[in-house]
Amino acid sequence: MRPVAVTGLGVVSPFGAGVKAYWEGISGGVCAIRPITLIDTEGFRCRIAAEVPDGVGGSTRRSRADRLALAAAREALDDAGIGRPERAEAALIVGAVGGGMLEAEAWYWQRARGVPTPLPRALASSFPSAHADVIGSVLGLGGPRETVVTACSSGAASLAMAADLVADGVVPLALAGGVDALTRICFMGFNALKLLDPAPCRPFDRDRRGMSIGEGAAFVVLEDIARARARGAPVYAELAGYGMTSDAFHVTSPHPEGEGMVRAMRAALREARVAAGAVGYANAHGTATPQNDRIEALAMREVFGEGRLLVSSTKSMIGHTMAAAGTLEAVATVLTLVNEVIPPTARLETPDPEIPFDCVPRVAREAAVELAISNSFGFGGQNVTLLFRRAA
Amino acid sequence: MGHRVVITGIGVVDGHASGVVSRLVDESEARRLSRMCQMTVAAGDAGLDTRGELALLVGTEFGDMVSTIAFVDGYLRRGPTGLSPLLFPHTVMNTMAAATAIAVSARDLSLTLNVPTVAGELAIARAAMAVRTGRIGACLAGGADEPPALVLDALREAGAGTEVRGEGAGFVVLESLDAAHARGARILGEIAGAAWRALPARPHGIGRPARSRAIAVALEESGAGVAEIGCVYTSANGDGPREEWERALLDRALAPHRPPQRALCLPAGRHSGLAARSVATAASEAGDRLGLVHAVARGGNQVAIVVAGPRRVAPSRAIEGLASAEAPPRLARSRAVEGFASAEAPPRLAPPSLAQRA
Repeated sequence: MRPVAVTGLGVVSPFGAGVKAYWEGISGGVCAIRPITLIDTEGFRCRIAAEVPDGVGGSTRRSRADRLALAAAREALDDAGIGRPERAEAALIVGAVGGGMLEAEAWYWQRARGVPTPLPRALASSFPSAHADVIGSVLGLGGPRETVVTACSSGAASLAMAADLVADGVVPLALAGGVDALTRICFMGFNALKLLDPAPCRPFDRDRRGMSIGEGAAFVVLEDIARARARGAPVYAELAGYGMTSDAFHVTSPHPEGEGMVRAMRAALREARVAAGAVGYANAHGTATPQNDRIEALAMREVFGEGRLLVSSTKSMIGHTMAAAGTLEAVATVLTLVNEVIPPTARLETPDPEIPFDCVPRVAREAAVELAISNSFGFGGQNVTLLFRRAA
Repeated sequence: MGHRVVITGIGVVDGHASGVVSRLVDESEARRLSRMCQMTVAAGDAGLDTRGELALLVGTEFGDMVSTIAFVDGYLRRGPTGLSPLLFPHTVMNTMAAATAIAVSARDLSLTLNVPTVAGELAIARAAMAVRTGRIGACLAGGADEPPALVLDALREAGAGTEVRGEGAGFVVLESLDAAHARGARILGEIAGAAWRALPARPHGIGRPARSRAIAVALEESGAGVAEIGCVYTSANGDGPREEWERALLDRALAPHRPPQRALCLPAGRHSGLAARSVATAASEAGDRLGLVHAVARGGNQVAIVVAGPRRVAPSRAIEGLASAEAPPRLARSRAVEGFASAEAPPRLAPPSLAQRA
């Protein structure tokens, strides 16, 4: 199997468009969770989220999610220096959940209220697979094209699936990433489950009360490392291994001992052929729900032991961006290796004594790390761990 | 080269006369699961004759959209208090995979792939690749769909109106030939080659009759030439322009040969579970030749799967033809679905409103 390099990054986050704005935001410990403007929140206990600010660009004939995805995908390809001829063979793997549902919901709301509403173009683009067709068509990607839905781990799963195609020599390079725009269904659903904190979330805090939701998109270019070096492309990091497992336990709740999470992390270590002790940083799933943070910490303790591993949650600053989260956090992990700075867990005031790790409270920390993991877990017991190695 | 990938199980739940009986799942599951999940669980379990570290790949075009609409309608009727926390997880497309993984204890990777028209074929092709490379040992792969009338109406208005859609679920069990031999499993056929690529096309659009790299790569992987293809199982579903495109792609890829083409979707309608039926049928009808399962979607997604029959895989061990196959020894037969050969049609499946030709 061929080693897989990360050679391009693209992000649209609640800090705005671009990898630079994203890194400045998360390394600065800035919280982008604010009152929601995109949808009506009247009557709900939680009324905040991390929205992408104005100025995303792109044709408004496309769904908001398509525009987020296209901007991030384009940045990643440009960053990697991948021209049109090379794109014809490139794979495209997109992790998505909500699709163009924000626009479809608006149509359905009007229709339900008896308001005659013409069928929006976006309705035909309301399914998750729409993003891949738009990106593939606009950017000319002609290799294998897939849309994966593994709930909140979709963005991470897309990288794992793309890495397979590159490692096995099916394609020389792949564009992979996740996207989700804020939708009413997502906002209402997590409210119904009483999983949202009315205030910005506080992962790993003793007094955490739930998650905050967000939106965004992130893509990476994965490439055969030998090919990347031969063409003189900058290599950010190596995607050295991954693990994908299913709890097969419950549709919404994780296994109480994190059994599937443990298997995912160990599978990533096994594939990368590294010992647990060699990993220096974990970008945690870290949603800030009392149960999930505790179980994730339990699983990490089982794999890495107590104390030594540095852990932080990007969601403390950009909320839980659903299908985009796995890729946004993978990008954060890669940039951690590159910049030798661990982004903090914002708003972490009183560390939970049940979380036996240094969760880098509030302020970023300088640390040269060789190996780092990014955890992503989702409804349905979908566990994905990505393991990155710093570029030589 | 990797492992040879064989088919050792098949389960289908749909409006065709096939392996279903009156109850899809047991009573407790029927109360707990949405109808969409019931179909997926039933089909998945029907195809399974072993349990262990099993992976799961589910292709779907619509997910559990019926439950999604019910969730939204709760809010529109009663505001925030009308929202059902039980329905919310079903708004995410992986809910069928989650329910099936729990039901059959599939603890390896679990992926849900969303794409129009080719979702089931894509799941099977991706699963075959994962088995071939040794990333997974055994896999339940296929698809499930329950298209809601509202969405069909909307898609018809958007220009996809001539498609014949049905509902159902279907899965095959894939594993390496060595693993199948080691546990004495019956071998129903082989995935000799599989590939998927994107053709140039606008979103929702039809492309030109381009060269098909998916078919070329699948054939190359199988080590076979086009002359060995005995029959093509297409994704024809009543969408005239798309079918014409598919015919043009196949003609160009297989020229000068013109093997007969069949489509299994009519009259009950196409759904993502039909891919499993196409693969199983291709295996059972292949004889000494090969079957090509092919699907292409508006927007350009194309999948090609080259299927060999049991006679070509391991003549001394294989069973000739699915219809005459005895049920394999199962480690757990807890479900009501009894196998591919039984012919009792299920009630309530593929009602006229969901299987219509506009």
